[in-house]
Amino acid sequence: MSLLKPEEGWYYKKVSKDEKMWMLIALVLCIMMFIWMVLWHVYGKQNPSSLTYRTSTTEFGKLSSAYIKQNMVGSDNGVPVVRPQPNTDVFLLAEMWRWSPVMILQKDQAYKMHISSRDVVHGLSIQPVNMNFQVYPGYDYVLEFKPTEAGEYKIVCNEFCGIGHHTMIGKIVVIEKDEDLKLYGYENFKKAPDPVATFKKEAMSETEMALQGEQVYTLKGCAACHKIDGTSQLAPSWKGLFGKDEKVLVDGKEIMVSVDESYIIESIKDPTKKVTVGFEKTPMPVFPLTDEEIDFLVAYIKTLKN
Amino acid sequence: MFRICDITGFKVDLSSEKLIRYNAVFAVVSLLLAVVAALLLVLTRYQPIHLLGAEWYYRLVTFHGLNALIFWIIFFEIAGLYFGSTVVLNTRFCSPKAGWVAFILMASGLVMSNVIILMGKADVMLTSYTPLKAHPLYYLGIILFAVGALIAVALFFGNLMIARRENAYGDSLPLFTYGLMTAAIIAVITLATGALIYIPTFLWSLGLVENVDPAMYKLIWWGLGHSSQQINVAAMVSIWYMVSFLAVGGTSINEKVSRSAFVLYILFICLASAHHLLTDPGVSSAWKVWNTSYAMYLAVLASMIHAFAVPSSFESAQRRWGYNKGLFEWLSKAPWGNPAFSSVILAIIGFGFIGGTTGVVFGMEQTNIIVHNTIAIPGHFKGTVVIGTTLTFMGITYYLIPLIFRRKIVGFKWAKVQPWLFFIGIALLSISMIVLGQLGVPRRHWDSTFSGGPFTHNFNPAVDFFWALMMLGGVIAFTATIIWILIVVFSVFLGPKVNGPQDMQLTISPLAPPAKSHKGFEAPGTLILTFVFLLVFLAIFFLNWKWLAATWYVK
Repeated sequence: MSLLKPEEGWYYKKVSKDEKMWMLIALVLCIMMFIWMVLWHVYGKQNPSSLTYRTSTTEFGKLSSAYIKQNMVGSDNGVPVVRPQPNTDVFLLAEMWRWSPVMILQKDQAYKMHISSRDVVHGLSIQPVNMNFQVYPGYDYVLEFKPTEAGEYKIVCNEFCGIGHHTMIGKIVVIEKDEDLKLYGYENFKKAPDPVATFKKEAMSETEMALQGEQVYTLKGCAACHKIDGTSQLAPSWKGLFGKDEKVLVDGKEIMVSVDESYIIESIKDPTKKVTVGFEKTPMPVFPLTDEEIDFLVAYIKTLKN
Repeated sequence: MFRICDITGFKVDLSSEKLIRYNAVFAVVSLLLAVVAALLLVLTRYQPIHLLGAEWYYRLVTFHGLNALIFWIIFFEIAGLYFGSTVVLNTRFCSPKAGWVAFILMASGLVMSNVIILMGKADVMLTSYTPLKAHPLYYLGIILFAVGALIAVALFFGNLMIARRENAYGDSLPLFTYGLMTAAIIAVITLATGALIYIPTFLWSLGLVENVDPAMYKLIWWGLGHSSQQINVAAMVSIWYMVSFLAVGGTSINEKVSRSAFVLYILFICLASAHHLLTDPGVSSAWKVWNTSYAMYLAVLASMIHAFAVPSSFESAQRRWGYNKGLFEWLSKAPWGNPAFSSVILAIIGFGFIGGTTGVVFGMEQTNIIVHNTIAIPGHFKGTVVIGTTLTFMGITYYLIPLIFRRKIVGFKWAKVQPWLFFIGIALLSISMIVLGQLGVPRRHWDSTFSGGPFTHNFNPAVDFFWALMMLGGVIAFTATIIWILIVVFSVFLGPKVNGPQDMQLTISPLAPPAKSHKGFEAPGTLILTFVFLLVFLAIFFLNWKWLAATWYVK
């Protein structure tokens, strides 16, 4: 009588046996599920951590680059590779649109991962093991992972983070013994190289500067958008860029410029002043680079010929 | 200003009827926008076709979410609230003028937000997590819509007050209107939460506020995003009870139980929004477990109670009509030719078996790790809000066309097929998405081959099959929706006029005769069905925990 008023005495009507039975089963099920979650914290091996630190995008960015500089053992497709010691703190940075660094982990060893974002909200999704966590800017989420199986894993981003979202993919390699590194082409990545020596600029040759530039390219995340293989999905590829003529937008007007040193320096310092035609939708952010680092990058770009 | 309905005998306030019509029309328009976008999205995610570019894919995900989850549902619910508080109670509309103000606010909000999205100024998804920023007019559009909806909800309470004062319904509200009242109360909480988060975000997009903390944003946004789904559930369950009454003359076998279950929704669902933060930093496990279990489970309990109460109301009435043989004669001799009835039965099955089971399992703290932000999540809510709410709303429309729009249903044969087609389509779509998600496929992702990324990842080869199945389901569901929209549009604008009971294509059953006193179970068939449900639930439960136990250790 859902459209009419209820029958007389509805409030005092006895609940039928079967309905009572079902309600009791449902209630017991709900209580069991509550107990189950609590018990899993005691006996289960997969529980989201409760440990979070407040941080800022700048602070975490600094922590992350300091960590990578100290622990980098090589690079893979423009992403730095680290091989952390078991039971140490690892810093994993999410940014538009890459995860850095690539990590080489040991099977059955625990690693405390600090995870945060430099810009928007991202989603950490380790595949194919399928573990998913939320990543915020300003919050350092500490998750202690212990990989239980060796193999190559990918970190997919599964929270929408802008037009290049689908290109945001990182890598974790889990090995049992050193020989396994060969499986992933990482055989030369056994130990951390000496810390990057501080060169004096005037003492460096173009080649040395270009090598430094390659490091800056990897460390600062240029590789997320600027590829060196000639593909230009999100930003112009650096391959064969130097000396090329590019069509750019200045205040809504198209002009031709020739890519030389001063143009590259200007584009890094003030990326939105001249925007290459075709990439208006993916404006480049300003990166905090020193003049020296910019010079290194210019030297590096010069070496990337067709 | 009143007409007496020659079919139901209800007194119908004409100004209310007009408002119901306009809100319902806008609901249908929103649904059309949503499903056109949905088809393009499915054809994009199916990699062999990969129809849209990245930009338009994300734009239409935003567009689809807003139109399907907000505009279609809320416009329809407002129509339902007006119907339940005036026509059903034989009473007048408290302030038709304010009703039009509400309608104009909502309609202009719809237009504003949609135009801004299509202009490419708000590619932020429905959730618009800060610091992703949309154009200020996008947020303003949603705020206007929400203010309009809030006024409409206030008018619903105004109508109830008039009905009470004029003693239109006696001591107790009819169950249908009671259920809608709980929906309206949840709507007030939800819309207030929405204001709490959209207003600062709007000011932030204007540059007046410096920062909207992303974790705080997500916490409060889900107070809107999830609670609003509970408005849908309360409204949908109310309609289930109403269809039981209209189709077989059934009523809840114990109204006190059904009403108490509605109250549980009001008390506990807001806290349950916490299950959107299960794998987030910033909140502790104790907070997560508490808010997702006691609070949510009491709301889950409410749905479990309805899961018995609604089918048993059909069963009990059918048995009293004499369909008493065995356990399931009541079901086999049910009015399957009535599209409202078949819609509701299919909605109950889909909501329970697909949406409900996965919702509870995915909403547990630890198992959320293996599904969070994967495509299994939209797969789950296709089961709840599409098979459940949308199919229910489609079904009840088959009654609204003759009773409110006073037109015969054009293409009634198609109307009988449409609920089945829609059910099959969405069930395929939804189940495929859930399986894909369990295999790790992310949601809201333009290219699962990761073109342009430094690395790539190949999902389990089984995904190819489920992608194809998902596309097939999507196309079937799209077709079924278009059939429904065509039936509605042709009937409402071109259908022959209804001149009396003889023109009713859907029967309205008289009340089932009173029960003879009997011992034993009131609804044994329903009890068996709920046990089947329990088994399916337990299977999904243990599978998910088994998969979780196979992952890396994390703490």
